[in-house]
Amino acid sequence: MKIFIKFDFNTVCRKVLEEKLIKHNIKYRILGFGEVDVLERIPSSVLSALTEELKEYGIDIIENQKSVLVQKIKDAIIEMIHSPELVNVKSSVYLAEKLSHSYGYLSNLFSDITYTSIENYIILQKIEYAKQLIVSSDLSLTEIAFQLNYSSVAHLSTQFKNVTGITPSAFQRIITKRREIATKK
Amino acid sequence: MDKDYIHIILADDDEDDRMLFTDAFEEMKINTKVNTFNDGVELMDYLNNPNAVLPNVLFLDLNMPKKNGIECLNEIKKDDRFNDIAIAIFSTSSSEEHIEETFVLGANIYIKKPSDFTTLKKVLSDVVTINWQYYTSGLNRDNFLLRL
Amino acid sequence: MKLSKIYKSAIFLKSIFVVSIFAIFFISAVTFKHISLLDNSSKWVNHSYDINLELERLMSYIKDAETGQRGFLITKDSTFLVPYIQSKNKINQSFAKVKKYTKDNPAQENNLRKLEFYISKRQNYLSLALHLSLKKSITDKEVKEKLVIGKQTMDSIRNQVDKMILFEKKTLKGRELYYKDTIKVTPIFVYITLLITLMLISISYIRITRDLEKLQISNNSLVVLNESNNLAEIVGSFGSWQLNVDTKEYTFSDNSYRLLGYEPKAFFASQENFMKYIHPDDLSAFRDASSKMIENGTMSPFTYRVIRKDKKVRYFRTTARIVTNKSGEEILIGTTSDVTEEVLASLSLEQQNIELEASNKELVAFNYVASHDLQEPLRKIQTFVSRLADKEYDNLSESGKEFMTRINNSVERMRILIDDLLQYSRTTKIEKVFESTDLNDLFENAKSDLLQSIEEKNAVIKNEKLPTMTVIPFQIQQLFANLIGNSLKYSKADIAPKIKISCKRVIAFEEELIPKKTKDKFYKITFTDNGIGFEQEYAEKIFILFNRLHNKNEYVGTGIGLAICKKIVENHKGFIFAEGKPNVGATFTIYLPEDNH
Repeated sequence: MKIFIKFDFNTVCRKVLEEKLIKHNIKYRILGFGEVDVLERIPSSVLSALTEELKEYGIDIIENQKSVLVQKIKDAIIEMIHSPELVNVKSSVYLAEKLSHSYGYLSNLFSDITYTSIENYIILQKIEYAKQLIVSSDLSLTEIAFQLNYSSVAHLSTQFKNVTGITPSAFQRIITKRREIATKK
Repeated sequence: MDKDYIHIILADDDEDDRMLFTDAFEEMKINTKVNTFNDGVELMDYLNNPNAVLPNVLFLDLNMPKKNGIECLNEIKKDDRFNDIAIAIFSTSSSEEHIEETFVLGANIYIKKPSDFTTLKKVLSDVVTINWQYYTSGLNRDNFLLRL
Repeated sequence: MKLSKIYKSAIFLKSIFVVSIFAIFFISAVTFKHISLLDNSSKWVNHSYDINLELERLMSYIKDAETGQRGFLITKDSTFLVPYIQSKNKINQSFAKVKKYTKDNPAQENNLRKLEFYISKRQNYLSLALHLSLKKSITDKEVKEKLVIGKQTMDSIRNQVDKMILFEKKTLKGRELYYKDTIKVTPIFVYITLLITLMLISISYIRITRDLEKLQISNNSLVVLNESNNLAEIVGSFGSWQLNVDTKEYTFSDNSYRLLGYEPKAFFASQENFMKYIHPDDLSAFRDASSKMIENGTMSPFTYRVIRKDKKVRYFRTTARIVTNKSGEEILIGTTSDVTEEVLASLSLEQQNIELEASNKELVAFNYVASHDLQEPLRKIQTFVSRLADKEYDNLSESGKEFMTRINNSVERMRILIDDLLQYSRTTKIEKVFESTDLNDLFENAKSDLLQSIEEKNAVIKNEKLPTMTVIPFQIQQLFANLIGNSLKYSKADIAPKIKISCKRVIAFEEELIPKKTKDKFYKITFTDNGIGFEQEYAEKIFILFNRLHNKNEYVGTGIGLAICKKIVENHKGFIFAEGKPNVGATFTIYLPEDNH
């Protein structure tokens, strides 16, 4: 038997975070966008315990301000790509407004920390979203191209191939075959 | 962080290729630690030791004596302990069928061995950075397929 | 034409018989009626005579009475009264008779009633005159008066009787006339009917004779056919047999026996008897096939071995089909042929094929391994040369640098050659997986493979919508890439390449280029460019492996690309053709069959 699940990363993270914070008796306020306002000073022993426990769930406590901002940029990009109403918004304008910094500043900071540019990151994330849609939805390539604001299927296919080295149809074929093998086992 | 490097393993029976591989990483800016093995049996012996430090990325040559790349790939995919390792096939072959087959068997990356050193460096650096994106950006690793 | 159709139909013959039977019935009915009419009219004649006779008799009795009365009146002798009294009785009897005869005729009855009145009146006066004459003389006025009235009444009686006789005569005459008429018309009518009937029967006789002749002819040709069939069976070494599905009765043709090495009718025709000769190893397969045959009503050709009377093993092939004859019986008709030579030939062919396939596989494997293994050292040469160029370039002399470039060029050429060879050997590999694929996707993939050089050359590629077909996807993509690549490579130096791809569904026999014997539907895909083109005389040569039209210093190429295209198209049972005009461009036309299987 196979069960298909759909989950929301934000809810999962929030739930885990809340549990852990309560466990360590920390007074907090979740601000969203990966930011938690801690209302009292935390002893360093408690903080390192919390850090270890959250790591198990793949949640990292980011230590410096620049990393925090980079994380915010990443979150904003993912949000932008995943919301249909933001598809047509220019990313530089959106990020600058959302994070109240000039785009030039954000762009340089991002490249310094992540070894990649915001533009590349957006493309990577778009292709990742395309992969997710190819794998989990019944949408055709044309519909996916439209949803991700590509001018044509050819455009999506070319970018997909540039990023992954394979075509969307080959990708789909590989994932389908992998699933077949998995169900056989 | 005490482990602030990327751990890389290569299994390849060709001595020249192993040398070029380590040279390429040495010339890169990225902080990496590279281990090499001469064949599939050596590699699996290392990995199957419960105390082994598992690599972030494992490069597999397909054509190796004793135990070839496909056999290693199959064994690694059977053991949940190795779930976090990104597997890169590092081969001379560029047959489409071949490439698709290795992806289907669970490889994440397929690299056709480049024929000049600059390209080799570029390709290996791409693998490491993209793999790093998958680690740091919470991407679905089931969908991680890359061909270079 | 319609008439002859009716004449020929079986219904015609049947209706003629029905009509004839009716005609005969009709004739006998008419004859019977005629005879009974004759009988009737003689009865009527007698009847009229009877009436007239009786009327005369009545008249004479009345006269007798009168004569008696007169005699008495004159003589007063009572002996004269005897006839008078007798006649009274006789009159009554006679009258009763007349009444009986005429009771079916209202007119005569009426007359009779009048007569009765007159007779009674007359008798009345007779007796009155008698009574008076007893008292008075004959000359007495009163007696006289009574006598006169009596005389008058007598006249009336006479008149009435005459009238009745006349009427009877008239009736008789009328009847005679009618009878004569009937007797005159009937024979003619009967005669005509008889003639028609005779004619109809003659026609049907002719028909029957003709049919019989035809039957005879077809019987004759059937005999000939049977004989020639027997002959054909001998020459073609096959036998036919029949099985009546309901009665389970078998019939074997003569040659069926000969095939087994027997004389015709050497054993009783039954499945059990035939199965005695089947090779023991094939017996169960034969049983399965024959039970399936009875179930399905047909038997697809089934090959098995038999051991003949002379112990020789032969291969037989049997095929059968159920036929329902006009009587509604299901009959299984089958033929069994001796296919030993054919089977042996195909067995040896199969063996040869296996050997050929094996050597082919070996060759392909050799080719693949050779080119694959050649790649390894070559790649290393290239890599180390590139390292050398990176690290030691500045330490080299000018000629050293020059050598380096030349090494690089040679190595690059060899790499392309090996790549192409490898690709070629891959397209000839035996394993081919056909999948239903959208060719538009393959085309886009091919384009993105060539993206770099398309952009470098500012090429414009326009394509019509391509179909979804069952193909080997990798190969078709390769085909598209090679053709586009070819156009890019042989483009004019100063003009941006334009490549136009069109696609059309065509029927094979309408296309001049396709060999005539194929009837299939094809997709015709043409690649047209504006490149340097070529002389039409080389149109076939360019598809041959390692064949190049240009010096390798002019255009980089191995002469493998188009050979690969041809191989791929052939793998898909298609055709590829080239057309060129120097300095105008080239057109490559591919025909891919719509259905590959």
